[in-house]
Order: sequence, then C-alpha cells, then structure tokens
Amino acid sequence: MTNPFLKHVNTKSWEWPVSLVSLLLGVMISLAWINQKTQAERSEQLPPDIRRRYIEGRIDLNELTKLSEEVSRLREENTKLQNAMADNSKQSKVLNESLQEVKMFSGLTDVEGPGLTITLRDSEDESSGMPEDRIIHDGDVLRTVNELWASGAEAIEVNGHRIVMNTSFRCVGPVIHVEGVPIAAPVMVRVIGDTKTLEGAMKLPGGVLDELRSQDPNMVQIDRVTKHRFKAYAGNTVRKYIKLPEAKK
Amino acid sequence: MILLPLLALVIGIVIVPLIGIMPLKGEWARYIAVASIAGVDTVLGGIRAGLEGKFRNDVFFTGFLANVLIAFFIAWLGDRLGIDMYLVAAIVLGSRIFTNLSLIRRWLLTKWQDSRERARREREQASAAASTTANP
Repeated sequence: MTNPFLKHVNTKSWEWPVSLVSLLLGVMISLAWINQKTQAERSEQLPPDIRRRYIEGRIDLNELTKLSEEVSRLREENTKLQNAMADNSKQSKVLNESLQEVKMFSGLTDVEGPGLTITLRDSEDESSGMPEDRIIHDGDVLRTVNELWASGAEAIEVNGHRIVMNTSFRCVGPVIHVEGVPIAAPVMVRVIGDTKTLEGAMKLPGGVLDELRSQDPNMVQIDRVTKHRFKAYAGNTVRKYIKLPEAKK
Repeated sequence: MILLPLLALVIGIVIVPLIGIMPLKGEWARYIAVASIAGVDTVLGGIRAGLEGKFRNDVFFTGFLANVLIAFFIAWLGDRLGIDMYLVAAIVLGSRIFTNLSLIRRWLLTKWQDSRERARREREQASAAASTTANP
C-alpha cells in the first residue's frame, strides 16, 4: 500500500452492516412487489392517470374484437335455442315472447328500424376559436346520446358500439373511449326512433349540438335513414352484486 | 466488496417467496414500496461512505431506520390528507440514488485508473531496476 490515503481507510468493517441492511431491504422490496395476486388491488390505489395507462396497456384490441364476435354469435344461438324451446308448448311460447321483448329492450338482440345518423367531425377550419373547441369531446358524444334518449330514441349505436344502460364514454388523451374501446373521429351516432322528433331535438336552437354548429357548421351532419340495422350489445352482462329480491309468498 | 451487499439484496428478494410469504396487500404494500426506495438510497449511501472511508455504523443504522420511517410516514400522511406525498419522497430519494450511484461510479473508476497507473509505475521501476542490475 503506497497510497497514503488508503492507509487510514477501514476497508472491511462497512461491508457487513451494509450487507445486513441490504438483506432487510431485499425483504422489503419483495414484500412490496406487485405480483399477479396483488395486481388488481394495487392498481386500485394508483393515481387515476397511472391506473388508466396501466389498464390500457393490458387491453388487447384484436382479442377484444374476436371475443366480442364470439359473444354475439353465442347470444344469437341462445335466442335461437329459446325460440326452439318455445315451439314445444304454448306456455313457454308466451314466456319466450316476453323474454325476447326484454332482450330487445336491453339491447341484447339485433334490431332494425328507421332513424338518423348524426356525424360529429373535428373542425378543419383553423381560423376561429381555441384548438380544443375544434375537436369532438367525450362530453359532446355523451350529451348527444343523452338528448337522443330524452327525445324518444329506442336504440343507439356509436361507431358500431351498441349503447346500453351501462355504456360509458370517456376521454383518454386524443381519443374517446366507448366502454374502454377507443373510437376515432368522425363519431357516427346512429339512432332508431321517430325521425322527425329526433331531428327536431338535434336541431333545437340552444341544444346540445348548437355550440358545435356555431363553432363550425361542418362539425355536425344529420342524415335521415329509412332503415338502420344494429348489432346486439357484445359487452359484458355478468352481474356480481345485484340479485333479484326473493319473491314474497 | 460492493458485491456482498448486492448479493445480500438478491438473497433478501428471493428469500421471501421461497419461505412462502406473499407480498403485502393494499396500502401497506405501497408504504413499504416508498420505504424501500428510502432503503435503497441509504444502502447506496452506506456503500459510498464505505468506499470513501467515511463509514460509521451508528450513522448508517440510524440513517436507514430514520429514512425508511420518514418515507413511510410521508406516504401515509399524504394518503390521509389526499395529497400524493409519496411522490415527494420518490423524487427526492430518486435523485439521491442517482447522486450516490454517480459517486460510487466515480470512486470505482478512479480506483481502477489508479491501480493501472500504479502497476505501470511498478513495471517501469522493475525494468529500471533490472537494467541497473544488468549494467552495474
């Protein structure tokens, strides 16, 4: 040892204490590690923006489309089976009719009928207003759908997604999510119902679309359609917490 | 040298699943996570102090305990108050981890260069000595 500085250095004694604490640290890290089991619970505690990124990273869009198709096919088969069962007796026929009615009401069957197509586009006119006023937001779609229900719409579809009672619209960065599936502008809101009433509601001065129209008339386009055909809702219908109350005898 | 603490860290991480303890759930796991960042910082600080020859047992152990508890408490308090205070701990400790690592790196680099330089000198001296003995 010719280095004069190294003479006074205690080179050995620090290793063991540090290693001891390092071992403890390893245990701590291991305890806080996110694994398959604690994943779901931990993600609930993440701040909303991180959680959103985390959840979105896990959605495989192709898989989702495939599974949705599978669900549609199975639901159709289910309807067929119910119909077949109903052929047996009159009683079950009545039952089946009311069942199909309920399914139609809740959006679980394909439906068709007259109505409107409302197309919402981002504005290309860059001369007026703020940039955020020139794009279609989740709120615009949400208010449009709400207004359509209020004016007697019987079935609504947004960019191919059937709107049912628990459909949600969210804004994630530049895209709108319908039930967690991103959709791109232009947003096509298709609706079945009384064409005149619906059109009146959509053109109401001071109505939901008026603001968009005043920004740029090209952002909103309303077309009458004599016959829409909507696919059945293909999302999750499993309910975990709600149960039918027991019937009183 | 530095390998021993690293080895201990790996053993610590591996031993928990091996003896069948599951990772903690819920809020506790999050507080422990913040606390372990504090622990990483302290251990790196300890290694650095050791390399620089300034290591003291009492400072190191109290430092570890205090940092871990403070990080834990900050994260807990933040949750109670509805502020993401754990971010404060994460940012401060994260930047200190960077500082400590860079100092360790510099120390190792200097030592390596130093040993090379010394080896070169010794070779020169040896050859000089050899030449002087060869030509008396």
